[in-house]
Amino acid sequence: MVQVTNVTKSFGDVVAVSDVSFDVGPGVTALLGPNGAGKSTLFRVLCGLTPPTKGAVRVLGRDARTDRMVRGRIGLAPQQETLFDRLTAHQFVSIAAASHGIPEQETVARSALDLVELSSDEEKPLGAYSKGMRQRVKLAAALVNDPSVLILDEPLTGLDPVQRTRMIELFNGLADEGKCILVSSHVLDEVARLGSRVLVIAQGRLAATGDYHALRDLMDDRPHRIRVGASDPRRLASVLIERGIADGVDVSAESVTLDTHDVDGFGRAVAPMARELDIHVTEVVPVDDDLESVFRYLVER
Amino acid sequence: MTEHTVSPLGAMILTYRVLVRQLFSLGRGAALAALAAAVILVAWAVGASDSASPENDALRVVVDLGFGVMVPIVVLVFATAALGDMREEGTLVYLWLRPMKRWPVVVGACLAAFVISLPFTLLPVVLSALVSGGSSDLVYGAMIAGFVGVLAYTAVFVFLGLLVKNAVVWGLTYILVWETVAAGFGTFPARMAIRGYTRSILTGKVGIELELADVGLTAGIMVPLLIALGAIILGSWRLSRLDVA
Repeated sequence: MVQVTNVTKSFGDVVAVSDVSFDVGPGVTALLGPNGAGKSTLFRVLCGLTPPTKGAVRVLGRDARTDRMVRGRIGLAPQQETLFDRLTAHQFVSIAAASHGIPEQETVARSALDLVELSSDEEKPLGAYSKGMRQRVKLAAALVNDPSVLILDEPLTGLDPVQRTRMIELFNGLADEGKCILVSSHVLDEVARLGSRVLVIAQGRLAATGDYHALRDLMDDRPHRIRVGASDPRRLASVLIERGIADGVDVSAESVTLDTHDVDGFGRAVAPMARELDIHVTEVVPVDDDLESVFRYLVER
Repeated sequence: MTEHTVSPLGAMILTYRVLVRQLFSLGRGAALAALAAAVILVAWAVGASDSASPENDALRVVVDLGFGVMVPIVVLVFATAALGDMREEGTLVYLWLRPMKRWPVVVGACLAAFVISLPFTLLPVVLSALVSGGSSDLVYGAMIAGFVGVLAYTAVFVFLGLLVKNAVVWGLTYILVWETVAAGFGTFPARMAIRGYTRSILTGKVGIELELADVGLTAGIMVPLLIALGAIILGSWRLSRLDVA
């Protein structure tokens, strides 16, 4: 339903998306990547909001930038929070329905707001809404045309845990109806709950694709970098290498930083080894356990 | 799956409805109403003073304050905000990613800015002509020039809002540098200034010569309308090629 072929998008000298290709069909597909990875730019290119510098994008076989009919079959909840702040939620979603040429705007708007558990009778203007409520209004507006392709840029941001669960159920329900749902996130746990297929994007490049569990294994199998504070780091480093526990070491005056593929083996070995060598260990700290490092590994591997 | 589409008239009305609500704020309204009141007050003071040529003085107030300052600045505020603010705030996507043609969106935006600008431009200009002691020809001329001028400025400034960031600064530069200074340097710059056409309409109606007013009444009316049409065409072209946030 969505085909992205060798898409590059540059802004001047900055390459936001670099030679990305993938096909997406019905179901939920999560686009995972750190902030600034190029997820929103890729979504903008998909929707035709900005043209690719190179490559081609097709949504339902057509180009949303030039084909207005296909724009009527896309639902987009953009990342930016700005809405028409003087309107009520019902007015905003009714206008979204009208802008899609839907005849029964009032009814459709009411149903869309019901889906995201917001009241159509709320008189408060959108400017007074919380972040989570605005997020749900955007979602209702994206759903109002019963889109075949739904593109949701960080849709769970600002929602409380209960709302997140309900929204994920909603996405999965829509996927079961055969819709293509693309959801971006920079939170790994969120993607785990969305399930299905995952596209990992980092530094503008497609770093990995596949099922979430396969991706999780890949992430866990990566070499880990650990800093060990020790009374004799030089001796500890040489034994770690000698016994094949570390793939590489970097020794300083008070610690040794090592790379290992076998983090569990290292965990089991370090204390007995320290006792055996009569080395006092002051700390054992993973230094690359953040998501950024995981993404960097996936890009560089 | 049904493919819905929006008729040009529907897109125009929709854009107009959205923008009319978004463009007007109490703060903006109060500031521009104060500007209009100041111009009317000056016009009244001129009308109340003893003068050998009251029609000439009244014309100067209408031309210099009304069409020189108030009309372009009020229109600049509303028209650049119409699609320009949406573009910069990131709400344009809610009109852009829709099964609608581009030109009705631009026309709807122009209509909204035009309708909101009128009470802050046409009304004070006509009132100024009245209270400054102008003849009925001046009042009638101010009415035509106001309508035509507001329309042309609106379309040009809506286009400007789509073309550049900080459109108000660029618009002020056009008003203060091009229309006020550069237009006096020759026929070409004068022809590129909307002010020249509004002055030509006034000259055509009251028969008093004004600088830059060197085209006939018909051209004074028709050319700004053509400028507005050109700006709408360019605005539609620009909207279809815009990078939307």
